[in-house]
Order: sequence, then C-alpha cells, then structure tokens
Amino acid sequence: MSHGRDIGEAIIRPRLSIPGRLGLILLALFGLLPIYWLTSTAFMKKEAVFALDRPLFPVDPTLDNFIGFFQNDALLQALANSFIVSTGTAVLSVLVGGIMAYSLSKFRYRGRNAIMFMFLIGQLIPGALLLISLYLMLSSAGLLYTYTALIISFTTFTLPLVVFLLKGIIDGLPDDILEAAKVDGLSRIATMFQIVFPLVVPGLITAAMFAFMRGWSDLLFALTLAGPDKQTLPAGLTQAFIREGTADWPALMAASLITSLPLAIIFILLQRYFVSGLASGAVKG
Amino acid sequence: MQQAILERPATREATEPTGPRSGRRSTLGAKDRTFGFMIALPAVLLFLVIAIYPLVSSIGTSLYDQSLLTPDRTFVGFDNYVAIFGEFMARLGTTLTFATLATIFPVLLGVALAVLLNARLRGRNILRGTLMLPWLLPGVVVSFLWAWIFNDSYGVLNHLLTMVGLPEVSMLGNPTGAMAAVVIAKTWHSFPWIMVVALSVLQTLPAEQLEAATIDGATRSQRFRYISLPHIVGPVALVATLEFIYNFGNFDTIFVMTGGGPGDSTTTLAVSLYQLAFGSYELGKASAMGVLWLILLAIISSAYLLLNRRLEKR
Repeated sequence: MSHGRDIGEAIIRPRLSIPGRLGLILLALFGLLPIYWLTSTAFMKKEAVFALDRPLFPVDPTLDNFIGFFQNDALLQALANSFIVSTGTAVLSVLVGGIMAYSLSKFRYRGRNAIMFMFLIGQLIPGALLLISLYLMLSSAGLLYTYTALIISFTTFTLPLVVFLLKGIIDGLPDDILEAAKVDGLSRIATMFQIVFPLVVPGLITAAMFAFMRGWSDLLFALTLAGPDKQTLPAGLTQAFIREGTADWPALMAASLITSLPLAIIFILLQRYFVSGLASGAVKG
Repeated sequence: MQQAILERPATREATEPTGPRSGRRSTLGAKDRTFGFMIALPAVLLFLVIAIYPLVSSIGTSLYDQSLLTPDRTFVGFDNYVAIFGEFMARLGTTLTFATLATIFPVLLGVALAVLLNARLRGRNILRGTLMLPWLLPGVVVSFLWAWIFNDSYGVLNHLLTMVGLPEVSMLGNPTGAMAAVVIAKTWHSFPWIMVVALSVLQTLPAEQLEAATIDGATRSQRFRYISLPHIVGPVALVATLEFIYNFGNFDTIFVMTGGGPGDSTTTLAVSLYQLAFGSYELGKASAMGVLWLILLAIISSAYLLLNRRLEKR
C-alpha cells in the first residue's frame, strides 16, 4: 500500500473509456427515464395525456391527482391499513426473528441445524403455493379479513431473511459479553433484551426495514386474505384503477408515487444499512 | 467478512488455553441449551403453522373436489391431477420462459452497471443511489408504470416512436409483445439488486491481486477476464438462482400488467393458481397445480442449496 496509492487506485478503479461512458449513460437512462415518466405524469392533467399533442413534461402542472387521492375514502383507508399492517409486520418480525437469531447464533442444541435448514428452504417457497391452505386455515380460525391474518402471514415470509441477517450480526458479538452478564447475575432473558439487542440496533433497524417493505409491497395476500376493509394499498390501487377498466393514468401515477414515498424516505434515511444488509442478506442466504 | 468475525473468538481461545471459566462452551450448560431451544420455539412454531403445514395440507386438498364457496368436499383421488396436467404443462412453459428471461436480463444489466460503476467516476455514489429507486418501488407500482408506458394508444413509448418517425408497436395487445412487456418491467424492477450485490463483491477484490497482475503485464481486459470476473461469478450465480426462483413464483408483475393475457399467453403458474382458486373457486384443482409446482420447486431449490454450500466452503 505504501507504493503510490494513486497507481493502486487507478488499477482498482480505472477511468471509464468513451464506449464505457456511453454504455453507462444508456443503462442509466433505462433505469431513470421511467421514474421521470412516473413523476411527471402524476403532475399532468387527465385531458393532457389523452391529447393528440401530448407533452413529454407537465406543461401546465396540477396537484389535482394528489388531492384526488386524499379525497378518496377507500384509498385513504388502504393507506392507513398499509401503515398498520407493515408496522405490525416489522415489529413482530424483528421480535420473533431477533430471538430466533440469538438462539441460533449463541446456543447449540439438538435440532438447530434442522431449524436453519427449514428457514433456508422457507425463503424459497412462493406465496401462491401456500395461498389456498392459508386461506382455508385462516377462515376456519376466524381470522380471515383481519389485520392479524396479514401480519402473521407477512411475518412468516420475512422471518428467514430477518433471522439470517441478524444471526450474521449477532455471530460477531464476542461471547465474553454474555459471560460477563452471567457473572453479574443477569437472567438469560434480561441478557438478551438488555445486552444483546441494544448492541445490534443497526441490524434490528435494517431487518425492520426489510419487513416493513415486504408488508407494504405485497399484492397476493392483500388481495385474498384482507377483504375490502383491511386491504393494503397495492390491492386497493389494483381494484380502484385496473378493475374499473377506464384507467385515469395521471391519478394512478400520483397514487403510485404516494404508495412509493414511504419506501423512498426509509431508503434515504437508512441507505447505509440498506446496501450492506441487501448484499449480506442475499449472499449469505 | 462475517466469516472472519466468526472465527475470531475461536482463535483467541486457542491461544489462551486457561481455566474452564474462559472456555467458550464450558459454561453453556444443559440449562443454557434448553433456554436456547425454548426461545427458538416462537419462530419455529409460527413457521411450521403458516408455511410448512399449508404445504402439507395442500396435498390433502388436491385429492378432493372442493369449492371455495361451500365447505363440503368429496374425495376424488388423483382426478384433479389428471384434469389439470395438460394445463399445468402449458403454464409451466410460460413460467419457464418468463422466469428465464426475467433472470438473464437483470443479471446482464446489473453486472454491467456494477462493473461500470466500479470505475473512477464523478457522481458515482449519487448514480448508484438513484439507480436503486426501481428496486424500492412496490411490484404493483412497477406494473402500473410500465403498463402506462406501453399503453397502445396513449403510451409514451409509441409517442416517442412516432416522433422519430418509426412505426408504433403493440406491446400488451399481442402474446409476444405482452411477454416482452412483463419481462422488461421485471428486468427494470430487479436489476438494482443484482447491481448492488455485484458491486459489493467487486469491492472486496484484494487490490494486491490486481496490482500483481499489472506488474506481470496483464492488460485491463485481461485483469477483468481472469481476476474480476471469476471473483464475482459465484455470488452472482447464487443471486441469479434466487432471482429465478422468485420469478418462477412471481404474481404481481404479470397479474397487474396483463392479467395473464392476451388469451393465456402470459398466464404463469402463480397467476393460473390464483385464477383457479379465486376465479373459478376450484380449490382441489388449484391445489393439484400447487403440488406439481412444489415438486419442481424442490428440484430447483436443491440446485440453490448446492450452490450455497459450495460458496460457503470457499
């Protein structure tokens, strides 16, 4: 490292050639132009997008599409449902998953490997495959069309990710800390909640974030297990706009932006945790 | 990196072999093991009840003629399987087409972007951040957006094509176009994930290796071909397999954009299962479809697990 950091840097991160730059611009345009179109349509008037000389940017911008969303009781209810269900999913996932991760990380017992294997496999089961049995089960338990139905379903599907993410982090805590807590006479439960979890708060936040996003984005369960009163935004939007046949595209894009905004805010606030969590969560399974 | 952290206590233990108190496992008695097992129970029970039991019980449902609307059911043996087998094979073909294309394109795009963004570049952090946006959006939003872009009459794609004097294209109105449309939408949704993984792996490449190769006279493309590429190929293959499995079960992209149409040209297994259960109320047939799917999934998952194990050993 002592010999010329610049030379090393130039090798690891070479400058981009002209074709490289052009390629990057093209790929970046594919990534970003749709975002532009989503945003700019949301500010257009309904008549403008159906006009023959429709513009490529909001010439005469309007907020009507956003105001319309907040005047629509069904969509407002769906927005509230989304917050309730996603927050519930985040809290339950981190609580149940955090305890599970601690157990897998610091204790050795019979069946531990089987449990790890079950979660590894569980990550791969698609929701559609469980849909019918889940529907019948929740129905006979009297839980169909409740927040609880959605929260426990989303939590189950988020658990593998949360468990492996947090296990990786708790693995990094030295056992001496646990020993010290034991010597100090702290109970096992207290050690977990007062020593272990406070030390891995960034990990807990990352996990909560992923769980929140999972609950916020799902369509299939929201469409089938929630019913009209408890359904979250993805299901609400699908039914409000697509099923009616006449798509009011500017209103739909405004509603889409509102639906995406909480996730964008979470991302901006927690970007640092996010990228590392995403990479480790994926690669470590 | 996590591997390195994991190993640290073990090595320290080996260099300081002192009394039983400092030993790692010695103070973890039977009571601790019981405690460890007990606190695992909530998650395990939840998972058994919500994920594993439904899988098993769907095998039972698949042997009955059962409607969503009435609680009573009649045992029909394997009749449901016979009835849906032809449809299953057709949907499987569509699912494989979608899952394969919607994996290949994001992987190519994501890796290309990772390599380009790994270069010295002004504003690369901002670019990387904004390119994450598509991945953040909920699946339904992605579908709405691309359905709007591809709209035959008012979509911006045809508008732009007309402006530069090219003929308009009908995407969602014909089978090939509809498949292309859902693949493009899914590609746009997934590439940031692959990009971030590939980029983070590229950044763990030891500088010494690249420097040594340069001193030995390796050109830039040789360094990429023989050092960077082999370095990222394993993790990218793992993510690609995961992506394939997720795409195999994708519901929202296709359901919102095309509803499985036109005709049944984009009806994948997930969409078909939903339609059978909640459109035709045929729970038995839908479950039979699910069981056949489960068998396939087991095979694909084994590939993922093998890959995962091989990478962990490395």
